[in-house]
Amino acid sequence: MAESNRAATSRRSSANRKPKKNQIPFGFAAVFLFIAVALWLNTKSSTLSLFWMTGIAFGFILQKGRFCFTASMRDPYLTGSTSMTRAVIIALALTTISFTAIKYGYASAGLPIPGMSYVVPISLATLIGAFMFGVGMVIAGGCASGTLMRVGEGFYMNLLAMIFFVIGSLLGAHDFGWWKEHIISKGTSIFLPDVFGWMGAVLLQLGVLLALYILAEEYEKKRGASSH
Amino acid sequence: MKEVILDCLGEACPVPLVKAQNKLKELEVGDVLIVQIDHSCAMKNLPEWARKDGYNVEVEEVDDGEWEVIIEKNK
Amino acid sequence: MEKKETKFFDQLKNNAYYIKWLKNPFTYVTAAVLLSLFQTITLAVTKEPWGVSGVFAYWGAWVFEAFGGSVDKWYYFASSGAQAVLNDGFINHAGTWRNLGIIIGALTATLLASGFKIKKIKSKKQIIAASLGGLLMGYGARLAFGCNIGALYSGIASLSLSGWVFAIGMFFGAIVGSKLLVKFFM
Repeated sequence: MAESNRAATSRRSSANRKPKKNQIPFGFAAVFLFIAVALWLNTKSSTLSLFWMTGIAFGFILQKGRFCFTASMRDPYLTGSTSMTRAVIIALALTTISFTAIKYGYASAGLPIPGMSYVVPISLATLIGAFMFGVGMVIAGGCASGTLMRVGEGFYMNLLAMIFFVIGSLLGAHDFGWWKEHIISKGTSIFLPDVFGWMGAVLLQLGVLLALYILAEEYEKKRGASSH
Repeated sequence: MKEVILDCLGEACPVPLVKAQNKLKELEVGDVLIVQIDHSCAMKNLPEWARKDGYNVEVEEVDDGEWEVIIEKNK
Repeated sequence: MEKKETKFFDQLKNNAYYIKWLKNPFTYVTAAVLLSLFQTITLAVTKEPWGVSGVFAYWGAWVFEAFGGSVDKWYYFASSGAQAVLNDGFINHAGTWRNLGIIIGALTATLLASGFKIKKIKSKKQIIAASLGGLLMGYGARLAFGCNIGALYSGIASLSLSGWVFAIGMFFGAIVGSKLLVKFFM
């Protein structure tokens, strides 16, 4: 840990500081570049272009908001802060409402409900996998979206994490057959509206999210008060 | 009254925050801690934590993507 | 001419709207609302919510095959859908473009805020932490059908109980990860 003591005045008059470069022109160049890529992809397929544009939007929002799913799970324990946790809860609540609206629209029109492939079986593998993921994201300094976002910010450490994320995924895919046969096949998928009805499922979930939000806020107050 | 510089350049979250918390505990009232960071999330969560704990905080952008978070241990 | 352009960008740096929208970070809640908006767009248009880590398995498979390996016999890639994705290549894979988009979107945001900096790896500890963390995330995400986005965010928002189970596992994983981080990687 590099550490030095200096007189208070010396830092203020830091004349040796190099002048800041203006990176905004490169920012504009990046904007033109991604629009050009979007137009090019559009000539191949509009789906590719759409995925590219939504990816840009997600990356931009994650970076601007410093939105970090890792912090939402880690900070309550590590630092006692739950502001990120509460933001994730808000995102979950809003998206629950809009997703359910879309799904309900399809269901009531008698059409197949979109996005049901994300309703996956619950088994011991879900818990083990999620636990591994939780450990990994904290020590690697970023979850899946956070790793990608920080690669864009210029972190070599996250680039390395991304490479090993890919290797880990390949190993996981390699062993997936065994897990599927022995563990995952014993689990069942539970779509909450099948159990509680559409209205019941949404109200229950929003209620749980609200309770978690209040819990997070109270917990932060308590931790803040006890640390002094 | 002294000024302590904590070099957290190249450190990823939550390392700068944890280091700053530990360092601040060692300091005496009136001391100033300057945390040097280049992790954009730390530039948000470090001041947020310090302000909530009631310290005087200032963030200064010293270079492109580099910040100094100046925390005064005022209590 | 060049002088004039530099001047324009320097003036922009002090523009109130620039500072508000491109320089300063959004609040966490603003980001949460915007992410929800684009999640909704994603489900409405593509009929699937947002996912990130499934793409990494395909990246792995393409690299593995480039080195002469074959994943055709693996259960994970056995479905006709997965085979079609593998044969079409990464350039025609929508998810790949979305993941690349996240990188470029973040890069653009950083450059527009004039805050880009290459951050080199500082120590051996970081190398171990990043490699081990990456491996755990990759393997774990395959077991649990996704990552913090696909399994957690999209799972919970899709009213799937699996999302909540994932959240519990991830939360306890994060606590253990924090202990390991403070003990070994700091």
